[in-house]
Amino acid sequence: MKRKKWYGGIFSVLLIFSVILAGCSSSTGGNSDSKDKVTLDIFQFKVEFKSQFETLAKQYEKENPDVKIKVSTVGGGNDYKSAITAKFASGEEPAVFNIGGPVDVEQYKDRLTDLKDTKAAAAALDGTLDGVEEDGQVLGLPFNQEGYGLIYNKRIFKEAGINPDEITNYEALEAAVKKMDSQKDKLKIDAVFAYPVKEKWVTGNHLSNVFLSPEFDGNVLEASKAPTVKFTDGDKFKQMVDIQNEYSVQPTASLDYSQQVEELFSLEKVAIIQQGNWVYNTVYDMDPELAEKGIGIIPIPNGDSAGMPVGVPNYWAVNKKSDEKVQEEAKKFLDWMYTSEEGKKAVLEDFKFIPAYEGYDVEKIADPISKEIYKYSQEGNTIGWVFNGYPVGWNDDLGASVQKYVTGKLTWEEFVQQNIENWEKIHSK
Amino acid sequence: MRNRDAAYWLFLTPVLAALILVVIVPLIYGFYYSFTNWNGLGTPDFIGLKNYMDLFTDKGFLDTFWFTIKFSVAAIVVINIIGLSLALIVTSKIKSSNILRTVFFMPNLIGGLILGFIWQFIFIKVFGAIGDLTGIEAFNGWLSTTDTGFWGLIILTSWQMAGYIMIIYIAYLQAVPEDLIEAAKIDGANSFQRFRHITFPLVAPAFTVSLFLTLSHSFKIYDQNLSLTNGAPYNSTEMVAMNIVKSAFTENDMAYAQAKAVIFFVIVAVVSLTQVYINKKREVEL
Repeated sequence: MKRKKWYGGIFSVLLIFSVILAGCSSSTGGNSDSKDKVTLDIFQFKVEFKSQFETLAKQYEKENPDVKIKVSTVGGGNDYKSAITAKFASGEEPAVFNIGGPVDVEQYKDRLTDLKDTKAAAAALDGTLDGVEEDGQVLGLPFNQEGYGLIYNKRIFKEAGINPDEITNYEALEAAVKKMDSQKDKLKIDAVFAYPVKEKWVTGNHLSNVFLSPEFDGNVLEASKAPTVKFTDGDKFKQMVDIQNEYSVQPTASLDYSQQVEELFSLEKVAIIQQGNWVYNTVYDMDPELAEKGIGIIPIPNGDSAGMPVGVPNYWAVNKKSDEKVQEEAKKFLDWMYTSEEGKKAVLEDFKFIPAYEGYDVEKIADPISKEIYKYSQEGNTIGWVFNGYPVGWNDDLGASVQKYVTGKLTWEEFVQQNIENWEKIHSK
Repeated sequence: MRNRDAAYWLFLTPVLAALILVVIVPLIYGFYYSFTNWNGLGTPDFIGLKNYMDLFTDKGFLDTFWFTIKFSVAAIVVINIIGLSLALIVTSKIKSSNILRTVFFMPNLIGGLILGFIWQFIFIKVFGAIGDLTGIEAFNGWLSTTDTGFWGLIILTSWQMAGYIMIIYIAYLQAVPEDLIEAAKIDGANSFQRFRHITFPLVAPAFTVSLFLTLSHSFKIYDQNLSLTNGAPYNSTEMVAMNIVKSAFTENDMAYAQAKAVIFFVIVAVVSLTQVYINKKREVEL
């Protein structure tokens, strides 16, 4: 009798297992069922335009009844990375996903379809495909362009008697900052800057890029191949960290992005923040009038020169492992989004993107900061984004060592030394 | 327990299946992956003990470990002292003891992430404002140094967990027989002596449970750490769990992270089992 009960036990365990496992069969990136309806699984990271993007996808479905588009969005840099890794590991692979640059290209190599023959790739602006070209293949299509610099409050500048157009080098910036600092009470500001050293990407990605980009000719691929880094413009890097840190709301080590943008800048408690065009919507939500009329952007000076760092933050990639048919439809959809009239309209007016493609009416760019940045990129007064080519995790460590530097745990010489060694260490892995 | 019929298995199976699927299998998988160079995609190659070798020379990891140990020791002491004190307060004969129980237990119902952000606000904004008003320098710049970040984490964790630990102590305190206390009173023991020689030994099992809970909990803290300091300044307030997540997802080093996790698991298991064993030996039977 006893044995029988054991069988019962084992049998029921097996039964449960089979039920659970039956629910776990994996599929890859959409499928085409009997009615020839193709499903596109799109897994993307940009929370800011989730609803607008879904609306556009619906519009596309209407025009192409045999295509179904499923959009899932997981927000933010690291969260997306971990989510997409988990997705791939679980076998639930999306048909279309996002990659950031050479580092991701390396990681997802065997999943990336060549998109060279798409219309969008042909229309992409010069330099925007740098990060995703490999062996003559184009492995991603740029989302949009973004730029960052010193975003300033026009009213405060005016009251302090400063002309932003004259700030084209470090000396002019320093003079302006000191001038504002001396009239803090009159201007009703807490400090000139709000410098969020807590956010490692602000220092580790963005600021460092201004001073390291020239080393790699502004080319992200160069950076990703470089066995070492020299910090040629290290002293100017130091200047910019020092001035922002010294004249910032204190303590900078615990100041974060939301305090910087939502609280201090949107409430006009500080005059300048080092950020990019992505802050526009946040400022707009806090104070529409300030966003529309009251803010401008100038480049971060590198000694005597100043170029606007403009780059492509993310790319669309199409999964090589999904059905041929799905891949074709994915390409069609991306082409439609960036090159058809309806698509272009959405890109400019709903997504509020700075386009990375030709054939757009610049006057329709939604916000003043983006317009300004686009102007710089048309004049060619830009520097390339190389931080997507830094060795994996190096930017994070760099950001952490900036925190050490501003809290006095590291001298600048040690800072440079440590980060050079770290680059070499990670690169040789 | 001897009566293992079909019904017994029927009820046990779902639990067993779930346990095997979500705990045992991943654990075994994890052990295997820690000996490979898996990066989350592609096929893992076996590289033997290399990950473990790298671990013991990885300064960043060892620092987070040391920080976690310091944190855990402080947290265990603080949480248990506060928890026991609260339990003694609410089991004494004060009027509002029922409402107090609810109030003390409340923080436990808020999720760790939210708590982290609430306390971040308190430490940075409220403390800053108090510092500005009173001119006491100690209130300024919280979470911007390693020490304040450390104590910030301790305060947060204690506030969250003390109420829960209080409940455990209450259960045991109420089980202490009145007549023993009476007898001690008649023999002329003062209240401290009564606590020291009667209550304390009788609630010893509560210490076993509470110490185990606080120990394993504070070792494994992640969400509070993430939302309160996120390792700032310069990763010096990063705890092991966060360090592991970082190597897995920021640096794409899945296998290395897994090796860290294995070591972490072994250490937490050994420490907490040892603690339970020692405590068990000291308990008294009525």
